[in-house]
Amino acid sequence: MMHCTMDDLLALRAGEGSVWARQHLDGCETCGVELERLYQRVAQLKALPARRPARDRWPAVRDAIRAERARRRGRWGALSIAAAAVAAIIVFRPFGTGQANAADLASIKRESATLERELRAVDPTARVMSGRSAALAAALEDRIALIDGELARAGLPDAPPRPDELVKLWQQRVDLMQQLVGVHVTRAAYVGL
Amino acid sequence: MTISLAVPDILVARAKSGDLEALEALYRAFETPVYNLALRVLRRPEDAEDVLQETFLEVVRSIKQYRGEGHLWGWIRRIAVSKALMRIRRDQVRDADELREESLAGRMGTSGVPARIDLERAFERLSGTSRAVVWLHDVEGYTHEEIAEQMGKTVSFSKSQLARAHARLRKLLDVEGVER
Repeated sequence: MMHCTMDDLLALRAGEGSVWARQHLDGCETCGVELERLYQRVAQLKALPARRPARDRWPAVRDAIRAERARRRGRWGALSIAAAAVAAIIVFRPFGTGQANAADLASIKRESATLERELRAVDPTARVMSGRSAALAAALEDRIALIDGELARAGLPDAPPRPDELVKLWQQRVDLMQQLVGVHVTRAAYVGL
Repeated sequence: MTISLAVPDILVARAKSGDLEALEALYRAFETPVYNLALRVLRRPEDAEDVLQETFLEVVRSIKQYRGEGHLWGWIRRIAVSKALMRIRRDQVRDADELREESLAGRMGTSGVPARIDLERAFERLSGTSRAVVWLHDVEGYTHEEIAEQMGKTVSFSKSQLARAHARLRKLLDVEGVER
């Protein structure tokens, strides 16, 4: 007598058994027992105790996160410096309203640098913030990163930006930095730090 | 293992902002299920710990892409499964295991001394691929389509691996006569 294969039993378990397999199962005690054993095996697998790691891997994960962040900060820092250098070259060229733009740009960049120092003083990575503040800070950081990217691209020779565009980008960056510092300062004041 | 772990949205938002304490809280919440899954699939504790670490590094790098569709555990589990399967492929554990598995089954069948073996030990003697398919399908509740997608194989491959694995489990347990 031909019995159900394991494929047949698994298909029966999944409710997809063939007509033959279903009919056979009705009259075959052996296959009925096999199907029950299959159910039992799976139930026992599900009931196996959860194993826990012997060692705490969080410190290694945390250190790797910090190292990646340090590398990223270094990269963005280098890009910002490069962008600033390019901006300086463009602005100090003799063109139309260059003198006015140069003064504006120098002023905005000083403001941006001041805000960067303020942000570092608050040390945003060292403290806990509320979910709402965290989401806001993350959104602001993303937008600042986008502008930094645009400033870095401004250094490419194929499409140098107009001085007024550069001033506008730096102004946007300063506005966002002010908001970001505001989020962190408010939080630090709230928690009394 | 059934996971009914709910993570507050606020914690996820903080983790997305890069808050280390929130990221650690997520790690603590999912450390055991990720490790357990990796251990069942890979068998070696040191491999499972490596997958745990790799999984959370990936979680940290990608969490901004998590849009809240579905349970966070489902998203993290997908990363963990991917890392574990990658390790199976990289280490070519499958081939070595299958030889070992056949060898063990053969020895047990002829020894005449029934060393007691339970389901957990029998499961560990399956090949890496078989363990992954059985665990993902029967315990984690993956469909054959999902397994096929994660393994880069066909649905038929997943189904045949499951049938083959259960046939081997049955044989291993039957030889020892301890299946209940």
